[in-house]
Amino acid sequence: MPRRALALIGLAAWIGLLAATPWIADNYTVRVAITIAMFSAMALSWNFIGGFTGYPSFSTAAFFGIGCYVGALAQRNGVPMVLAWTLATVSVALFAAALGAIILRLKGHYFAIGSIAVVEVVRLIVSSWGSVTGGGDGLNVPLLQGSPDWVAAKVLYVMLAIMLAAFAATVLVDRGRLGFGLRCINQNEDAADMVGIDTTRFKIAAYALSALFCGTVGAVYASWVGYIDPTDSFSILLTVKVPVMALLGGAGTVFGPVVGAGVFVLLEEFFWANFLEWNRAILGGIIVFLIFFLPGGILRLDYRRLLRRTLRQRETGQKSPEAAE
Amino acid sequence: MDILQIFVNGIVLGALYACIAVGFSLVWGVLNVINMLHGSFIILGGYLTFFAWFYLGLNPILVLPAVALLLYILGFALQYLFINKVVTAPVLTTLTLTFGLDMILYNLMTVYFTATPRRVTLDLGSIDLAGIVMPVDRLLGMGLALLLTALLYLVMRGSTIGRAIVAVRMDRQAAALMGIRVNRIYAVTFGIGALMAGAAGAVFAMVFPVTTNLTGVFLGKAFVICVIGGLGSVPGALVGGLALGVIESFAGFYLGPQHAITVGFLLMLILLVVRPTGLVGVKGYE
Amino acid sequence: MLGRSWKFTANAIGVSTIALVAAGALGSAAAADDILRIGAPLALTGGLADEGKKQEAVWQLWLDKVNDAGGIEVGGKTMQVEFVQYDYQTDGKRAGQLAEKLITDDEVDVLMAPFGSGHTKIVAAVAERYQVPLLACVASSVSVYDQGFKYLFGTLAPNTGMTESMTAYFKEQMPELEKVAVYGRDDVFPKAMATALANSASAAGLEVVYDQLYSVGTMDHSAAVSAIKAAEPDWVYMTGYTQDLILGRKQMEDLGVTAPIVTMVTGPAYREFTEGLGDLAEGVTSSTWWHHATAYTDAIGPWTSTAAFYADFVEAFGIDPDYVHGSCAAAADVLVHAVQQAGSTDSQAVRDALAETEVLTFYGPIDFGENGMNQGRDMPIIQVQDEEIKVLYPAAIAGAQMKLVD
Repeated sequence: MPRRALALIGLAAWIGLLAATPWIADNYTVRVAITIAMFSAMALSWNFIGGFTGYPSFSTAAFFGIGCYVGALAQRNGVPMVLAWTLATVSVALFAAALGAIILRLKGHYFAIGSIAVVEVVRLIVSSWGSVTGGGDGLNVPLLQGSPDWVAAKVLYVMLAIMLAAFAATVLVDRGRLGFGLRCINQNEDAADMVGIDTTRFKIAAYALSALFCGTVGAVYASWVGYIDPTDSFSILLTVKVPVMALLGGAGTVFGPVVGAGVFVLLEEFFWANFLEWNRAILGGIIVFLIFFLPGGILRLDYRRLLRRTLRQRETGQKSPEAAE
Repeated sequence: MDILQIFVNGIVLGALYACIAVGFSLVWGVLNVINMLHGSFIILGGYLTFFAWFYLGLNPILVLPAVALLLYILGFALQYLFINKVVTAPVLTTLTLTFGLDMILYNLMTVYFTATPRRVTLDLGSIDLAGIVMPVDRLLGMGLALLLTALLYLVMRGSTIGRAIVAVRMDRQAAALMGIRVNRIYAVTFGIGALMAGAAGAVFAMVFPVTTNLTGVFLGKAFVICVIGGLGSVPGALVGGLALGVIESFAGFYLGPQHAITVGFLLMLILLVVRPTGLVGVKGYE
Repeated sequence: MLGRSWKFTANAIGVSTIALVAAGALGSAAAADDILRIGAPLALTGGLADEGKKQEAVWQLWLDKVNDAGGIEVGGKTMQVEFVQYDYQTDGKRAGQLAEKLITDDEVDVLMAPFGSGHTKIVAAVAERYQVPLLACVASSVSVYDQGFKYLFGTLAPNTGMTESMTAYFKEQMPELEKVAVYGRDDVFPKAMATALANSASAAGLEVVYDQLYSVGTMDHSAAVSAIKAAEPDWVYMTGYTQDLILGRKQMEDLGVTAPIVTMVTGPAYREFTEGLGDLAEGVTSSTWWHHATAYTDAIGPWTSTAAFYADFVEAFGIDPDYVHGSCAAAADVLVHAVQQAGSTDSQAVRDALAETEVLTFYGPIDFGENGMNQGRDMPIIQVQDEEIKVLYPAAIAGAQMKLVD
């Protein structure tokens, strides 16, 4: 399929460009590139549960935050850095699988609220468990040694690797049985169950996948910034931002989250630099715009669907003329 | 003696909590929308009350109806212009939309009102009943909260508009066929949700400091209360609010204040899984 | 509000760069090495906006003063000073990002840390990596300074000095003082203060009858206040943000806590506290790092005495300065002093000069210890009396006798 090939070439060029930033631009730009890679990985992760499966999950910040803390605590206790990252990844995936077994029984609004509550509960527990986590004091993480340029490049390549891994996982899932099953669940969970899809296991797998890379990202982030605290690690803004990125690009598509994260981070940079006081309102404006004008995301400007929507509106309009007023 | 005091603290606080949640619960129940704007609505109501008191010397109780009306208009307009367009979309869309709108409102408030905590310093003292101390302004707030909740309950049961809202909640299609203007009802409902938030804000301005830093805290409480009490019913919000108030009060006293809010959220998660209909259960909104 | 009159016009890329070059000076002809560039990530929006705006305002005042004098003398040459500031929206991730931008994009010579210990830590990690000197003027928790960072210097003194002198002073004022209740917010600074006080109080032989923290996001204190009441303390010590303290004080009154000493940190140091509480603020004590009643003279920097700073500040803003203003302006003074000692803006030389610093500013003596923190000294204890802030201690600057809360 030429469109797919074209998209792959585009993606390769985009990653190449991000990877080249340490050689062609200053460290601030590299930091933006790191942020893009970080959010791409998280948006791709969210896509498993939110996009493919259609479960409105808002627990990204919980996974990211636990990743931060497990990584930081392991490193502080002498675990080598890469091992600490691995440990964080595994712990977060296990946590998500266990949690998923409980809260994936919820649907729709209840699931959304439950997944947000998870972020808050984990934050409160981390914050009140001061003897281990440092509580509100936060934790200092051993700084990455080396010159700033070297550190920035290293973090960038690690984040890009995570992003690529998340992308590869997306492609595999998309083509595999898991992806098919998740899409069925998205369409109609009861029907999927009846045709023999083990919905519980599939959903848990999707939820764990949506957590795994966030855990790695969190641990790497902690090593990079050198200090974490409960408020910044478990932020509600992060937990909503990531789904918005995926929506912006196109939830449930393979390339959407990457496009969405890139566009969102760059827009944020731009607005934040130009409209100091109003940047939050402008971001809100982007979200409102997105919901109304790009409901399927940038990659899914699907005209058939638009047409269908208009038709449906007309249909309901005939039933009750007042509804259209 | 101690226990009684803690219980009374919890009940008084719980009534205020109920006031936070009632509007949120109504919107969720009828529109199926998780309104992320709710916390900011409360703070906006608080600010309006504070400014009326500070600059015009008006008593918060006198200002309350005006503030509530203003919030009603704001809520109605937001629903009519924006949220109605996507009201049937999945939760992800509606939640994200209200979150976006909230970012705008929050930004407006921080720019024009700043984050400085403000409070209506009408300190009315306390009543001491056989060793149980009750702050007068909180009692007043509790009375107003209960009054507002009761009013809403009566409106839902008795008035034409209330019955129409309940009808839409039960079956949108059927209600439309019966000649109910569904979108209008949605806007009215959202307006009432905002109205209750504004009234809560006016009550709170006497009791709590008003600052934009608290919007998230109020919203979080609304989540917890709705889940504990059960969604979409006035008695549910009341029971949920009172229950949360009492639980936090006891947990704060016996486990330490650090764990008080954790207990509330944990309870909410457990209830979500074990009994998603909450303590009161879901019926029509009445 | 405050800081509003100090709105900066954003330039083409929207950065609020203040490059005030004194009229008649060489201006744009000045080469880059004749300019001292100070970078500051500030919380101008979000939860800490009020604090961030204080930093912004006082630095503007400082900069105007310096530039009115034509700049600073460094090694026989006149050097201009520039402040480059960005709003990090009270978001830790952004604070780090901006510190990096200031260093790499704007090529600042030194950094000023934002408000609070947590965000200072994030910026400190970036500064350390780039080996750029960082002055923290509003971070006092020792945990910020105990990581062995070489480029981090703080103008506030450690918390422990504060709590020890306070305990001693109160015991002297009220010999029958026995029981103290400590209630602190679980956040870097308020927690550190609460812990330090509980330790100082036990060390001084007081009985700590209540010692608890409350989480960020607590909106009601009735349970804790009831427990405190039941413990019948003579002294209630509460730490937190202004909104917490306002509510805490009100609930103590409402629920009938009658301790003769009520201390709130750092409540009364801020105007917002007294405004939000009205009559209830009466008698509340606090400690602070600085008060304008101190009278240092022969100081370095544009203000040679505390009185001179106070006069300029009041003229500009119409309100009294608090410790944030004092400490941040003094940090700028110390920085200029270090550059003058170093004879250039070379970061290594400036760092070494900072480590050697031992000067007197209008804010008080500055002498960075091994960990980069200003050495402890007698820090003022203040009390709200008749809607005004009175200094009780140290005796040299005391303006009133301590009153017990009735």
